[in-house]
Amino acid sequence: MKVSSNLERILTSGQFAATGELGPPKSAEAEVIHRKAALLKGYVDAVNITDNQTAIVRMSSISVATMLLGIGIEPTIQMTCRDRNRLAIQADLLGASALGIKNLLCLTGDHQKFGNHPTARGVYDLDSIQLVAMVKALRDEKKFANGEAIDTVEPRFFIGAAENPFADPFDYRPYRLAKKVAAGADFVQTQLIYNVPKFKEFMKRVVDLGVHEKCSILAGVGPIKSIGMARYMQNSVPGMDVPEDIIARLKGVPKEQVRKEGIKQCADIIREMREIPGVHGVHVMAIEWEEAVAEILELSGLLPRPRV
Amino acid sequence: MTSEKRDLAPPTVEPLPPCAATCPAHTDVRGYVQAIARGDFEEAYRIAREPNPIPYICGKVCAHPCEDQCRRKDVDEPIAICALKRFATEKHDPRLGHAPRLTQAEPREEKVAIVGSGPGGLTAAHDLARMGYKVTVFEAYPRLGGTMQVGIPLYRLPRETIDLEIAPLKELGIEFVTNVRIADVDGLLSDGYRSVFIAVGSHVGAKLRLPNAELPDVWLNTEFLRRVALGEKIDLSHRNVLVLGGGNVAIDVARTAVRLGAAQVSMSFLESDETMPAHPWEIEEAKEEGILMYPSRTFKECVLDEGKLAGVKCIKVDFRGFKPDGALDIDEFVDTEHILAADLIIFSIGQGPDLSFLPKDGSIAQTKRRAIQVDPVTLATTKPGVFAGGDAVTRVGFIIDAVAAGHRAARSIDAYLRGVDPRTVQPDESEKLGAIQEKTISHIRKLEREPLPKTDAATRRATFDEVEHGYTETQAVRAALRCLTCGAGATVDTDKCIACLTCVRVCPFEVPGLERGTANVPVEQCQACGLCATECPAKAITMKLYSDDDMIQDIKRAIKRAKSDSEPAIVGFACRYCAYSGEEPKVVQARFPKNVKVIDVLCSGKVDSLYLLKAFEYGADAVFVAGCIVGECHNDKGNVHAGQRVAYVKKILDELGLNGARLEMFNTAPGECTSVVEDVIRLAAKVKELGSSPVPYPSRAGRSN
Amino acid sequence: MIKAKQKPIAEIKTLIAPYRNILILGCGTCVTISFAGGEKEVGMLASSLRIAAAMDKNAQLFTEATVQRQCEWEFIDAIADQIQKADAVISLACGIGVQALAERYPDKVILPGVNTTFLGMAIEHGVMVERCRACGDCILGLTGGVCPIARCAKNLLNGPCGGSQRGKCEVNPETDCAWQLIYDRLGKLGQLDRLSSLMTYKDWSKDYDGGPRKIVREDLKL
Repeated sequence: MKVSSNLERILTSGQFAATGELGPPKSAEAEVIHRKAALLKGYVDAVNITDNQTAIVRMSSISVATMLLGIGIEPTIQMTCRDRNRLAIQADLLGASALGIKNLLCLTGDHQKFGNHPTARGVYDLDSIQLVAMVKALRDEKKFANGEAIDTVEPRFFIGAAENPFADPFDYRPYRLAKKVAAGADFVQTQLIYNVPKFKEFMKRVVDLGVHEKCSILAGVGPIKSIGMARYMQNSVPGMDVPEDIIARLKGVPKEQVRKEGIKQCADIIREMREIPGVHGVHVMAIEWEEAVAEILELSGLLPRPRV
Repeated sequence: MTSEKRDLAPPTVEPLPPCAATCPAHTDVRGYVQAIARGDFEEAYRIAREPNPIPYICGKVCAHPCEDQCRRKDVDEPIAICALKRFATEKHDPRLGHAPRLTQAEPREEKVAIVGSGPGGLTAAHDLARMGYKVTVFEAYPRLGGTMQVGIPLYRLPRETIDLEIAPLKELGIEFVTNVRIADVDGLLSDGYRSVFIAVGSHVGAKLRLPNAELPDVWLNTEFLRRVALGEKIDLSHRNVLVLGGGNVAIDVARTAVRLGAAQVSMSFLESDETMPAHPWEIEEAKEEGILMYPSRTFKECVLDEGKLAGVKCIKVDFRGFKPDGALDIDEFVDTEHILAADLIIFSIGQGPDLSFLPKDGSIAQTKRRAIQVDPVTLATTKPGVFAGGDAVTRVGFIIDAVAAGHRAARSIDAYLRGVDPRTVQPDESEKLGAIQEKTISHIRKLEREPLPKTDAATRRATFDEVEHGYTETQAVRAALRCLTCGAGATVDTDKCIACLTCVRVCPFEVPGLERGTANVPVEQCQACGLCATECPAKAITMKLYSDDDMIQDIKRAIKRAKSDSEPAIVGFACRYCAYSGEEPKVVQARFPKNVKVIDVLCSGKVDSLYLLKAFEYGADAVFVAGCIVGECHNDKGNVHAGQRVAYVKKILDELGLNGARLEMFNTAPGECTSVVEDVIRLAAKVKELGSSPVPYPSRAGRSN
Repeated sequence: MIKAKQKPIAEIKTLIAPYRNILILGCGTCVTISFAGGEKEVGMLASSLRIAAAMDKNAQLFTEATVQRQCEWEFIDAIADQIQKADAVISLACGIGVQALAERYPDKVILPGVNTTFLGMAIEHGVMVERCRACGDCILGLTGGVCPIARCAKNLLNGPCGGSQRGKCEVNPETDCAWQLIYDRLGKLGQLDRLSSLMTYKDWSKDYDGGPRKIVREDLKL
């Protein structure tokens, strides 16, 4: 055990993990966090707190994570390279660890162009793989990025990374994942998966490389709320692969039942994920629809969550 | 250098385009063809006139060796240069004078005698008179013009045309003495003439020494043509005429015989159909008029039947030309003897000068070929002060050769009389532009040569009226627009060039390259489309025939003219290749509103973005560019570039708050000049709504910067 | 070569508003090649500004000049008279030329007329693209000759981000994904294994993060 977080324990015990996600508000309002947290509490093993997701300014990931700790939910903080250089990142991680946060997802971050401050300077001092390596060095070698030793308590995180199996070049993606794992990723959460056959092909290659034995792979899933949202993701979100049959299924039901069908569809995908070799869990991203998470996991047969 | 000499000097652009280099008088052909293309017909006349005191005649009967060398022949067919010269003379307003910008020097005392009033004599007389000399021209025949008067048939050259050229020469003070055959050159010198130019031409025909060739019904070309030209009524009806010889004069003889009513006219000659020496177009016209051709024959005897001429005994031959020793290189075919029937035979196998008047002491030497011997550079004979040129020296030549000889003689005589070595006053031989490379040719748009209107063959058989007629304005402009503007393209200022490669990339003809680190636009390849000059960001490229400053002056003038009404002033740049779409520009422009003034350009690609802005700077209320439709540009994509520049400048105008709608690009399809008229009228209406440009006129900027 | 783009006329008008005699000064090297500040552009801008002045009925006077390189004292000294006569100079050179003028003519107002944009090349006539960020520590030898610093929106050093699709960048679908290009190039070179090793943190101190940079060749100093 590296940090003995709930998520690490679940995965180490060989059980199929389920994580959730909570998007912080574009305000200083605490109440909304409590409301969303209540919808997730007990249904997932850990909750990711996004970091200025899609480059839109929101309450900081570490602050919200701290609040979740108080509520009794295990948080996974996200950290992007877009907004901070190596000094800021290390400083924040020292603090996060001190506050008791144990899971960390390392990301490059969406480009600022897509957010609400498109003229901001992007930092990108590090890339996500360098970030993973840096966090591992902090934890396992007690060294800062400059090689300087940490004299007393080092920050310890269960290190996560992301991967998008649907981005190009497809052939390189498994190797890039392997590189992230070699750099120190303990777990991986993937981009939202709707194209299951393509994901299976990706996983086959990952398994062939033996990457699944060195880290836990959590397939990213999420319910589709409306046909409009499906089309938007299909056409306008870089790196998303939404096949036509996914949309066709939602179109096949009366309009008022689309949400329900989206939840069912998500649960069906989760069931498929459980059968794919090398997949160790799912990461459910119900964006601004936290209410759906419990139902999805229920339908997938992943409730109740184990206690380890 | 005195001003009159500068006037008479050949064009100075080096190397010369092949047309000008080939022209014995080095006429700036490109200059006048381009002027016609631009619609500046008086300028065309002025350029054509400058090196040639008989442009009206040459416009009709010049042998135009220039056309044989025209580089357009490698693309499709040569430019119709001669016809365009004719057009320029026909457009010329005689009230402006025969030689609008040539000057005449102060009178000098020295007298010069010219023997012969053909093209050489007239030219020398003209030049010497302008230099101030007292010139007397002696002519043996009753009318002036030499061969032009007594040789060339009327249907090719109406005699009024000759009169047109002679009259202004008289105004220069040249004294003409007709019906006087000079018999004593030395006498002229002792009569006070300080120098003599012998230009007696080549008026003595020759016969082969055949049996019966002395019969009355065996005639000579020169005599026959002269008799007809001088008005003798000869009736050839019911006659069967056989012309022996295949040159241009033989054709003149045959076609004249047709017009005199001959029942049948035939021609027979040594050469084959393909090697017949007459110009192809002459042969064509002769055949159209029913003249029969019997090529590849040699003649043995004029045969008689019952005492009367019955024809010529011929043998078929393979004639390959002349051997180095001057003998015929020929084989006769056995068993091919036959008789070509005729009751009138006219020999036209060549002619030579009558040199019987030369001093008996041999002081004016002759060549072995019975011509006057001269120094080829100065045209000086072996007698000091006596010069000779034209057919009297060359035996056979074109009118334009004689014109060139006249100029040469005048320069020599002037030098001689001033005590200067005549060798030092003759221009160096000009360099000629090389050929166009294949890849460039492949990009040049093919354009049909405009045929010259002609009277139909049936009608012309019965009349000595002129066969060929001039171009209409539309035809002439279209014919002139085919000119490749050889040698007048882009010039790179290597001090300014930074080798940005823009020219290399934009040239539609793959011409520019880099040489020693700067752009190089080979003069023999450049098609003068102007794209490189307009696109060059360093302003390192200029065009030989126009400059930015010229254009800006044109723009200012156009605005001034457009502004004379109280209406908004609209300035247009119209591509002459298409904007008028075959209509006469002035007809199309007359349909534009009065407040629209157009600057004609040869391709809209020559319209620099800067010109568009400058027009607004100087107070234009609206500007348009009229070019061809995409795919129809003379220069591949000049119109596309123009469109892009218009779009770019529209944005600038919008940024300035001047409203980009004041600038428009119009693309005119072939044959749709109404569309440009409609477009312009629409723009005028729109501008009226928009009101005057907020840039005051005359703009303060225009005055002070 | 340095690529630049002319500033919007409105911005230039605002910059020059207080001045009467204005010299528009072009530069005959990089900005000429990038169609932003050569003699031709000087003429275009001068004409535009004269139009603007006439429209606004102000009495500004514009003169035009272009020197071979504004970033050399000798070249800008050659037109010292013209500069001295002007109340303000609009330089159409890159930022280097503007600063050279400002440094050489301390009491003269020097204004930029272009935005110096990037180091790059024309991939076709009229289309210029960025190729180098002058980061001071070239890694092209490791990346198959394609620069992820200049050509990846996130300066990634360890492969493409999740936004790489069909060879294009998520930030601008017209831009090639640098890492796709690197992947393809290394594939062709048989060096794909290079992409498996971790490329460590970049030394940005050699870029502008190290402060204004300087190159001194002691052997050349006069």
